[in-house]
Amino acid sequence: MKRSITAIGLATSLVALTATAVLAAGPTSDDLMKDAATTGDVLTYGMGPQAQRYSPLDKINRNTIKKITPVWAFSFGGEKQRGQESQPIIHDGVIYVTGSYSRMWAIDARTGQEKWQYDHRLPDGIMPCCDVINRGAGILKDKVYFATLDARLVALNKDTGKVVWNKKIGEYKDGYSATAAPLIVDGKIITGNSGGEFGVIGAVEARDAETGELVWSRPTIEGHMGTLNGKESTMTGTKNASWPGDMWQMGGGATWLGGTYDPETKLAFFGTGNPAPWNSHLRPGDNLYTSSTIAIKVDTGDVAWAYQTTPHDGWDFDGVNEFIPFDLKKDGKVIKAGAKADRNGFFYVIDRTNGKFIQATPFVPKITWAKEIGKDGRPVYNDDNRPGAPQGDQKGKSVFAVPSFLGGKNWMPMAYSPDTDLFYVPSNDWGMEIWNEPITYKKGAAYLGAGFTIKTIFDDHIGALRAMDPKTGKVVWEQKNAAPLWGGVMTTKGGLVFTGTPEGFLKAFDAKTGEEVWKFNTGSGVVGSPVTWEMDGEQYLAIVSGWGGAVPLWGGEVAKLVKDINQGGMLWVFKLPKA
Amino acid sequence: MTRTHQRGGRRFSRRALLGLATAVAVGRLFAVGPLAVTPAAARPLDDVLAAGSVRVAVYRDFPPYSWKEDGVVKGVDVDIAREVAKTLGVKADIWELTAGETVSDDLRNGVWKGHYLGGGVADFMMRVPYDRTFGVLNPEAVLAAPYHRERFVFLRDPERVDTSVIDDLPDVPLAVEIDSVPDFHLVSAAGGRLRSNVKHYMTMTLALDALWSGEAAAAAGPRTQIEAALAARPQRGFVMTPLTMPPPMRASWDVGIAVNEASRDLAYAVGDALAAMAADGRMAAIFAKYGATWEPIPIDD
Repeated sequence: MKRSITAIGLATSLVALTATAVLAAGPTSDDLMKDAATTGDVLTYGMGPQAQRYSPLDKINRNTIKKITPVWAFSFGGEKQRGQESQPIIHDGVIYVTGSYSRMWAIDARTGQEKWQYDHRLPDGIMPCCDVINRGAGILKDKVYFATLDARLVALNKDTGKVVWNKKIGEYKDGYSATAAPLIVDGKIITGNSGGEFGVIGAVEARDAETGELVWSRPTIEGHMGTLNGKESTMTGTKNASWPGDMWQMGGGATWLGGTYDPETKLAFFGTGNPAPWNSHLRPGDNLYTSSTIAIKVDTGDVAWAYQTTPHDGWDFDGVNEFIPFDLKKDGKVIKAGAKADRNGFFYVIDRTNGKFIQATPFVPKITWAKEIGKDGRPVYNDDNRPGAPQGDQKGKSVFAVPSFLGGKNWMPMAYSPDTDLFYVPSNDWGMEIWNEPITYKKGAAYLGAGFTIKTIFDDHIGALRAMDPKTGKVVWEQKNAAPLWGGVMTTKGGLVFTGTPEGFLKAFDAKTGEEVWKFNTGSGVVGSPVTWEMDGEQYLAIVSGWGGAVPLWGGEVAKLVKDINQGGMLWVFKLPKA
Repeated sequence: MTRTHQRGGRRFSRRALLGLATAVAVGRLFAVGPLAVTPAAARPLDDVLAAGSVRVAVYRDFPPYSWKEDGVVKGVDVDIAREVAKTLGVKADIWELTAGETVSDDLRNGVWKGHYLGGGVADFMMRVPYDRTFGVLNPEAVLAAPYHRERFVFLRDPERVDTSVIDDLPDVPLAVEIDSVPDFHLVSAAGGRLRSNVKHYMTMTLALDALWSGEAAAAAGPRTQIEAALAARPQRGFVMTPLTMPPPMRASWDVGIAVNEASRDLAYAVGDALAAMAADGRMAAIFAKYGATWEPIPIDD
């Protein structure tokens, strides 16, 4: 909001301006880069391009938190209640929020009055993998953007909800889908890809925000050529350097969680999925750049560096997790670093300027697949914890591996506080039995696959919110939760850490000690990410409630823990009233 | 999310897990989507006869079993389904189903629950493996009426490949559908010697295109698909032989139908119709129409 006023206040009389004119202006690319510092809005997924999910607001703090009250709530309506993993965007007194089944709303932030609703028409025959979720929108100038389950990127007029452009970013008939919030940098909408279990090649693509035209593309698997302005640019890695035969042509590495951005180095960071085929014995080599973080130059789409967290993955450890740029204050120096809590259970600190390994330590209490991450940044594998090859007349050896393929941390974003210098990681403690399955069928035909079943490893919890010190690599505090944590985290200058639980609570914790200081029952499981902003001199808080996503899709012991949670679809807004 | 991998076993694939969890909770959850408020329930025989039409699920884009050409759905399974409907005295309402990660997902989407995006379910579904173990893993569906035996075969250009013994194959490109059993077999056979020769294609049709274009010297895949290709494409003198492979991989399997648990009587009626077609030659004729051989299931098997 402040930006609209600065933009127009200098040149024109405020009196002459209509509210519409102010609305139409919308935030600039520069505004997006400063989002973390501006408290009147939330313009980016991650509350800043670095996605630290930190707010400098402190009116809501340890002392005042008990006084916050719900202001209004907004139902997403219909029968479409599944899986609300969205983070709201706040601009100029309007909340832009996405919901399940590729829907978006604009809502008056003061009253909860709907301004418009956009229902994306989903075609017959789409096959999204893991529920019908969406993680949020992006905003630039007069448009809001979001990706849809049929793998399209849609630009809507932010004031009317009318479609400005609608571009295909993947072929839904081949199983592609899109759920991540777009990253917007320098007038480019930057997206990853998801879905397509067979033959998928991960890619990051940048489109012109005005027209939707492709500017550059960057495949994540070595051997593939990128493009820039319609022409071939550079190859990703070196063809066949770490893949046998033609397997690099369908190697996996989907970038389904989207990316973060660092304005200092002008690099975008995208995590990549696990390699295909699933059976690691069939693709000897590191299989670059699967299960990695790739740093991409946003002007050309060229790879600046890549760091692989799980070389030659055999456990389905996607490397998609967000890489959060931060300044590591260590030994009297300030290092331009970035951190990533990986599916594989290790918390990595990397030099974000060059991808050099700094350290990696466990953020979960048990890891079986590797003894440690060595000084060279590569895992020291426990070879007997790799699922066996299905050769001869034996099915492959079954192993019990921790973490499970759902990860020490899954999609849900962590937060970083420059006040405490701690990362707040929504983690899960679980394992999996994993083996090669001799009898499976696909499309009416026999084939081989892998079997696995998720198991708990502790009696009292799966979820645990953990504070990690990036300097020491140690867990400073933890708060256990019975059900697996599946929602994003936010931290504030008020010394608080917020996150939701499948049990339905939005909770606040003391950022230094981890003590739970507040909770509110939203009526359904919380798997969205909270945001906070200031409006009319009061601090507001918003969270989407609505149980779903991948966890309730699971059977066995995990399903038992969550089977009584009801679905929902509700945006809750709280504030700390003026005294 | 995602989800991006092949894995089998109904309890274990991500999508399959969706089925399990929702099956448990179906009484409480909203099992509906935007396209249909209430999924059409799969119906028992009386309801099908009373309605005068039977809804049959076939796979989308899966020649020669079922595919769309010039707006018309055709293929072996489509013809068989139409013949069954004729025998039942009802119209065939052919429904193209998008394949999921495994057949377990297809059973959930096709006959017992419907996809969460809507579209309902079919009264019966074609091309479902008839396998006891697989059936046990899918208790919500009834597997019935096996109507042919499918098997993997090896097809080679004899001028470039002079043997059908996999371990003795020369270093030539071998075309397979990605992630299929022949893919795993060739990639892992002979201690992995052939790994760099195996060329992966998204569909069997594309793999066969590669053989005909000379990009590959041999291909491996399901017999019906390969025979149909041989019939429809220029004659090149290619040699087809059965593909044998060590367990746990299997070279042949039986194919039948699936119905909802509540529609067993419909399955019996469809089974009778299929048995009659097998006995009087109509089944073999349908396969022959597409250039393929109908392989019956041995009675003593």
